[in-house]
Amino acid sequence: MASMHIVLEDTHAVWCSADIRSSLQYLVTLFSRKLFNDSLPPVVLKHQLYSLHNDKTSVDKQVVRSDCNKCSTWDSVQSHFIIITLMHSEALVFSFPRQNELRETGELLMFQLGFDSEAFALVFAEDYRAKVLQGEAGRGTLGTVEKFLTKLIPSCSDLSFNKEKMLKEFLFTDSEITQLVKSGVLTVRDAGSWWLSIPNSGKFIKYFIKGRKAVLGMVKKSKYGEILQTELEGRRTTSQVKFQMKYHIHDIIGAELVECIQTTSGTLLRYVDGNVN
Amino acid sequence: MLSFLYARQSGLDDPVRLRRAESTRRVLSLELNHNRDVDRIHGNGINTLDIEVIDGRYMLSGGSDGVIVIYDLENNSKKPQYTCKAICTVGRSSRHVHKFSVETVQWYPHDTGMFVSSSFDKTMKVWDTETLKPAEEFQFDGNVYCHHMSPVARKHSLVAALLYSVLAVGTKDPKVQLCDLKSGSRIHILQGHRGEILSVRWSPRYDHILATASTDSRVHIWDVRRASGSLFTLDQHNGDKSKTSSEAVNTAHNGRVNGLCFTADGLHLLTTGTDDRMRLWNSATGENTLVNYGKVVNESRKGLKFTVSRGCSPEFVFVPCGSSVAVYGLHSGELITMLRGHYNNVDCCEFHPDYQELYSGGKDCNILAWVPVLRQPDIEDEETNSKRGGTHAAINPAFEDAWSSDED
Repeated sequence: MASMHIVLEDTHAVWCSADIRSSLQYLVTLFSRKLFNDSLPPVVLKHQLYSLHNDKTSVDKQVVRSDCNKCSTWDSVQSHFIIITLMHSEALVFSFPRQNELRETGELLMFQLGFDSEAFALVFAEDYRAKVLQGEAGRGTLGTVEKFLTKLIPSCSDLSFNKEKMLKEFLFTDSEITQLVKSGVLTVRDAGSWWLSIPNSGKFIKYFIKGRKAVLGMVKKSKYGEILQTELEGRRTTSQVKFQMKYHIHDIIGAELVECIQTTSGTLLRYVDGNVN
Repeated sequence: MLSFLYARQSGLDDPVRLRRAESTRRVLSLELNHNRDVDRIHGNGINTLDIEVIDGRYMLSGGSDGVIVIYDLENNSKKPQYTCKAICTVGRSSRHVHKFSVETVQWYPHDTGMFVSSSFDKTMKVWDTETLKPAEEFQFDGNVYCHHMSPVARKHSLVAALLYSVLAVGTKDPKVQLCDLKSGSRIHILQGHRGEILSVRWSPRYDHILATASTDSRVHIWDVRRASGSLFTLDQHNGDKSKTSSEAVNTAHNGRVNGLCFTADGLHLLTTGTDDRMRLWNSATGENTLVNYGKVVNESRKGLKFTVSRGCSPEFVFVPCGSSVAVYGLHSGELITMLRGHYNNVDCCEFHPDYQELYSGGKDCNILAWVPVLRQPDIEDEETNSKRGGTHAAINPAFEDAWSSDED
């Protein structure tokens, strides 16, 4: 029997993406749904993933639609075939869809939140769709919103839309666009262009910014401006902090508002001077 | 290491492979070495450093006091302890010294007989190294932030691209001025930026490609042979206009762009901006490779001078970040290490490709040399030493037991 030796292609490409999805699911559990009376889908910020994974570039690649990163090697066409050689010269060939681009497959939606040009929110598409329709139930704008969602979710991964796109590509009328803005799915960006947004997210942003400021204040006021991560997680939160402590900790680590230092007693978070927040 | 040597010797490996592997290992072990020092001449911060390309022996430095110093980096004394001596300086007592801070100095790329310096006193001077007198002087209307001479230019008459800034008051636009060294005149002007131009670089691959970075958040790539405007501008979102607010469309950074560096092969371009980001671009197409370096702290109001390693695989970027120098992997974006040692902000750094050393200068008037750590001597050598009766290398003489008596 001829033996086939086929080199195992970069399997870490597969595991990375499964990892990102599981990290997202973990972060989703940290989101407090009850706070918003269950009207918001669970929102995770893209930079929270940076605190869980070391390689920021690979996180970006898998979340953001990037068909232009040609300088990395594991992105090549071959990497979507995983070939495993077995004992008796058999080979199993698995083929996976391109693992990066969770957004291109329509699983994940990304939003520009508005308080920071680099802070992007990620929501699973099914959650988003369910919550938006739940919020729209009984209102006159339901039909338009449903039409928008069916157009948006499978294929589009834009963060903002301009008038031309709405009218020509999506075939919406002006009045329908007004309805979408009223329902909160679109917010005004500029004259004639709109951001994609999460309805009722104003409260989320308000609590988030307040909570982030409070947690950063806690780190800053500690002795020497530094605190062990485990100690911070155990601290009692003030009334300003509405989310879970861990949610905020992932946020400040990922946004590099605190420096992470590995010590023998665990991770130390040190406040970084020069923060605007 | 031995396996690399054996493979090279027997022809299994390309000679380049050994060199690259060893260079990379050396760069990863950079640290301050108490045996290596650089003479301290400047009385004020050091703004710019340049090591000549031909021998890698002489280094130029320009300071905020207008002083220019030339150092000899080669260690001809037979001792490991070596201070890089300043061979000559254009000090404050010289008649031709710059009146204000020297922002950029650069050796003439083909020999060390000449160097060019530009400064905030609105002049650019071409110096003769022997006599330390300017052979040529170009006057401008505004502060000169940066200049650069093409390292590969052979055909064109050695055009030194000069940028000056004219404060955007009134109708004057900031321009990039190209000056010809052969004839001593100004050749042409590249228009297109709307804010002060903080950095300029010629491509090390093509002698007609030039990149400029300015405070209007844009980076333009020019072909100097063309009469019309720039070839293209770098867009951080790669044309995806939906990602950003409408004012930030088609910008390279969300703040001032103050640093530019081409990689050694000229295929990629790095830019740093005051939005605390560093971006890697494909220099042929202008697309953002989206490598994420994280937060690269950048508060510099002037240009930031950073550098890329040469001859290693993977390549490294050395960026001054506050009072330390950050080392990032070029294509992976991971932070390898922070080189701490300066007492104040670091303004410039320069990589010596032959010895894999890094020289950095900053506001504390020191130039620090970061040298790869030498390999420790093998255990075998230590044993043979002690057999000969010499002191054991591992025990510091201070800890040797010289007082307890043997009778106890």
